[in-house]
Amino acid sequence: MPFFLKVGVLLAFLFAVVSLSVLVFRTFSFGKSCLHSEPRSKGRRGILYVLGRGMMPWEKESARKHLPTYVGGMAYHLGIFAALAYLFSLLFSIEFSASLISVLRWGVAVGFLSGMALFLKRILLPVMRKISCPDDFAANLLVNIFLVFTFIQTYSESFTAFYYLATIVMFLYIPVGKIRHCFFFFYAKVLFGNFYGRRGVLPSRIDQD
Amino acid sequence: MSENTEKRDPIEERIKKLKAEDFEKALKVFHKKLNHEYVTYLNSCVHCGLCADSCHYYLSQKDIQSLPAFKLSLATEVFKKYWSFMGRKVSWWTGAKKLDHEMVREWVDSLFGRCTLCGRCSLNCTVGINIHYLIRAARSALVSLGLVPPGLQSTVDTALDKGNNMGIPKEDWIETVEWLEEELQEEVGDKKARLPLDEKGARLLYTVNPREPMFFPLSIVAVGKIFYAAGESWTFSSDNYDVTNYGLYSGDDEAAGIMSQRLVDSRNKLRCETLVLAECGHGFNSNRWEAPEWLSKKYGFEVRSILEIIAGYIREGRIQLDPSKNSDPVTLHDPCNLVRLGGIVEEQRFILKHAVSHFVEMQPNREKNYCCGGGGGQLAMTRFAQRRLEAGKIKADQIKSTGAKIVASPCHNCIDQITELNKHYKLDIQVKTVSEIVADALILWKGKEG
Repeated sequence: MPFFLKVGVLLAFLFAVVSLSVLVFRTFSFGKSCLHSEPRSKGRRGILYVLGRGMMPWEKESARKHLPTYVGGMAYHLGIFAALAYLFSLLFSIEFSASLISVLRWGVAVGFLSGMALFLKRILLPVMRKISCPDDFAANLLVNIFLVFTFIQTYSESFTAFYYLATIVMFLYIPVGKIRHCFFFFYAKVLFGNFYGRRGVLPSRIDQD
Repeated sequence: MSENTEKRDPIEERIKKLKAEDFEKALKVFHKKLNHEYVTYLNSCVHCGLCADSCHYYLSQKDIQSLPAFKLSLATEVFKKYWSFMGRKVSWWTGAKKLDHEMVREWVDSLFGRCTLCGRCSLNCTVGINIHYLIRAARSALVSLGLVPPGLQSTVDTALDKGNNMGIPKEDWIETVEWLEEELQEEVGDKKARLPLDEKGARLLYTVNPREPMFFPLSIVAVGKIFYAAGESWTFSSDNYDVTNYGLYSGDDEAAGIMSQRLVDSRNKLRCETLVLAECGHGFNSNRWEAPEWLSKKYGFEVRSILEIIAGYIREGRIQLDPSKNSDPVTLHDPCNLVRLGGIVEEQRFILKHAVSHFVEMQPNREKNYCCGGGGGQLAMTRFAQRRLEAGKIKADQIKSTGAKIVASPCHNCIDQITELNKHYKLDIQVKTVSEIVADALILWKGKEG
């Protein structure tokens, strides 16, 4: 049974990758923006900034003012990366050391708790409810379920079937729901960094008085 | 719909008359605006809501319609409905919505009435979405429906019909320049001081905001005085001198392109080396950054802000300033289109530090500064005036806490808004352009001080 589910996970992952690629292709079919204005600075500098220092909470007022949410969001996504690393170690029979598994396990646990906190915030705050649609809740829940089963899986194999099933559902949902931002997030950052980098706005000065 | 709407509301009447084919037309325009960059952004919002506090409208109104994520969602919902698989098949699940009378009503109210396109939400977006660009794309669709609020549309129309947004006839402009030239000569004590018109081959072609000849002529004299002190070779154009471009705000690329092309034509006709843009935030953003995209061509000449030119004069020692002539505390407002979206961040600081004896920064400043509330075409849209003043409270508080007596603002839209805020919130300040402050501090070489 777990073998077939393992294959199912791989197929679901493949589906996600192919569907995301189609989505990316469709996105590019809208046409590329060709910039004619003379740059004031280098777009590359802006890109490096937004993917590096710009991610630090002190760099953005929105992150500074909402530090718990921002840190929770970071922890959530790091937890997801930890869970994916663990998943691929199982799928491709890669041996992880006990200490690495322990790090991943606690990363996943913190990610799960952060994910649940963000879910509750979305449910409890009226403003958050108003800007959310069912897709927002579903995406968060599916990932949280994946995280909690990953955490359990690192301890015991009794729930392996549920773990793989949760993973399959999540992968199948990626291209059709909000989780698709896993690709767009990074590309949006590149475009954004290039835009403000060319204009000489980013990187922000460190010594702003 | 909004405050300040009279009984007979042309926008509401127009909305009621919209038919299916009108919506189709608007969707075509919206679709045409979308490139892969916009679509990437439309697929990226995670509805985290952290952009809320970055918006001066949300901070002052605290209503959901002012929340940047909500405003963005108005565009995203329509995008999903027509151009995403799940949005088409399971609209309720993804929040996809049709472009219909109700949506269009919300677009006008939120995207025109609660946004200055200042980009502060974009800079604070945790993902990195250029939210204000998507809002402008939706405004473009409203252009095609004839739903640009009348005040803003008439500003665009006047600029297209008359060559400048105040509708100043050419003869009046020429007469004003001649009269101001006499003022300049008297000011500097030199009959040879000039405000040149149509001087072919001059190094700089200088543009102005048409509000200057109409209401603030001394700001033109101030720039003339700086050019005089620097011994600059420069000229005005008698035909096309309007630095403003309200097509940026209405979302009308075609109109915006026509306006910007006029400045290019003047530059080409007069064969000037550099097109110099007056202290006008959106005029700078339009002509420096957006116009080459509207016109789909690279400019073969330099486009610079007057602030870059003045900073250059100070660095090269072409002008000398005495900061003690401006002894009152001065603070600086950073116009969004010039700073956050334009990249002119340090020049004005460098200039003021040489021209005033007590310079104090607002907090936050530079690209993180708050919008004053005068951009986005808000000053032209009287129907949203009350909201604009309320949203300006953030800026008023910022100014107050500096303790400054003078606010330097390198943008005439911002000057108008801050002047209104000054009255409304009793700030007891003076608002000046950077050039005016520099002109006051100038030491003229003939031994006659300015």
